[in-house]
Amino acid sequence: MKTDRLRTINTPQRVEVEVDANGMPLIVKRESGNGKRVEAVGEMWRIDDEWWRDPIARRCYEVVLDGGGRVVLYEDLISGEWFVQKP
Amino acid sequence: MGTGLAIGAIFGIYSGPIETAMPRNHLASTTAACCWIPLFALRCEEARRPELTSQPSALLASDTARRLWQVSPLARRAGVKPGMTVSQAIGLCHSLRLCEPDPVHYDEQFARLLAALSEVSPVVEPAELGGAYVGTDGLGGLYGEPEGIVEEMQLRIVDCGLRIGNTGVESTIRNPQSAIRVGWGLGKFVAWVAASRAQPGGAVIVRPGDEAQFLSAQPLAVLPLDSDTHRRLRQLGLKTLGQLAALPEEAVVSQFGGAGRRLWRLAAGVAVERVVGRETPEPIVAAITFFSPVAERELLARALDQLLERALKHPRRIGWRVQVVRVRAELEHGASWLVEAILKDPSADRDRIAAPLRTRLEQAPPTGAVERLAVEFTAFAPGAADLQLFARDASAAARADRRRALRTAAREIKLRLKRSLLYHVIEVQPWSRLPERRYALIDYEP
Repeated sequence: MKTDRLRTINTPQRVEVEVDANGMPLIVKRESGNGKRVEAVGEMWRIDDEWWRDPIARRCYEVVLDGGGRVVLYEDLISGEWFVQKP
Repeated sequence: MGTGLAIGAIFGIYSGPIETAMPRNHLASTTAACCWIPLFALRCEEARRPELTSQPSALLASDTARRLWQVSPLARRAGVKPGMTVSQAIGLCHSLRLCEPDPVHYDEQFARLLAALSEVSPVVEPAELGGAYVGTDGLGGLYGEPEGIVEEMQLRIVDCGLRIGNTGVESTIRNPQSAIRVGWGLGKFVAWVAASRAQPGGAVIVRPGDEAQFLSAQPLAVLPLDSDTHRRLRQLGLKTLGQLAALPEEAVVSQFGGAGRRLWRLAAGVAVERVVGRETPEPIVAAITFFSPVAERELLARALDQLLERALKHPRRIGWRVQVVRVRAELEHGASWLVEAILKDPSADRDRIAAPLRTRLEQAPPTGAVERLAVEFTAFAPGAADLQLFARDASAAARADRRRALRTAAREIKLRLKRSLLYHVIEVQPWSRLPERRYALIDYEP
């Protein structure tokens, strides 16, 4: 297997997210296109990893967007940026 | 629901078919025990709200909130009956406590009961909510006489965590066991009549050969009669099964047709209906919890479509068509909503499965906003022959053909576009908590 031919899959995409007073996502805006309302929030969890090199800290939400799409949103707790990813 | 149950309460809930030439079934039994818990749903409510046992109370019907479904003995004493409107009932009994039905909870409790019974025998046939038949053929070797089998059933039910009735010391129904009536006999009808004659917490056992004698003294109301037939039998001066059985069978048939033959044979104790168990299908469930409770029907219908779509994609569904689908909703303030659709023509098509559910959603929507919605496929029919082949042999039968076809297609694409454009998904760190690190794509070169 030639590793230089590996392509990443399910790479997180940066998005803008409007949150409510409790920090829960309300509207998700991709770079292209209008914002989508969050219909429902399923599970929430936190990932803390790789503290020994480049620490990773994420707060993740499994959400259903307006139109029925089910995605995982996460807030990078170090940079404060939001990302979207497939579940 | 209310009307059907009201009739059942007057003329008995027995409604089994006459079986003459049933094919042999390994999950069938001629000797039967009938386990019956009257007013099951109301007793489930009493377990959650013990104060109900000391007050006249009633459950509302789940399809129309203006009529009563089950009525407690105290309320009955005040003249309240199932099927009455709320205004009629309140007029008769000002202190009547009305409860919203919670069918999901009752269903869960009933499932516990069935699970407990299936620990005694593999042949369990649910009848109505709170009633079930247990096949007891061959259990003598394990538990001895019928009394031993009945005792084992009662013990299992006590241990299963079923919560019905009041658990207060002052109550006469202190534990599930004392609310259960059990009957044992040859065939389902005899077992049912025996259970209906048993004291709360007790059992009536009808030994083989004693059926006709036992049944002869029973009132006509234990037969599965409609009100018109019951009235006509009364007009003929008949009050007991013995009086009916004393008439010539053909005379009853000439008056009441095929249904009359069935009634006569049941009354005479010559019809032995077997208990038929079923292989329990493992249901497929898809559920969604709403961020905020949803009351709009359009939104619920859309969520329903999405859940059906998700459930249909489940690997266990492949090769099978859905026959029974249920939708459960947990409502605000602890209430619930449950609908079940049996598809006459089993289907794997989302819209066809959704159609009867949408109708129910329109006609009898949830009585409150929905917090959680779940779709459950509980029974299946085999799919078309090609789907069955795919389901059973997906990884073996098709593998060789698929690889050959892929190789040809990849070669053609590479010839036309100068590069493959086909990729293979490979595992990189499948254990990683970061989804983007679990898998990667690599050029596919067969």
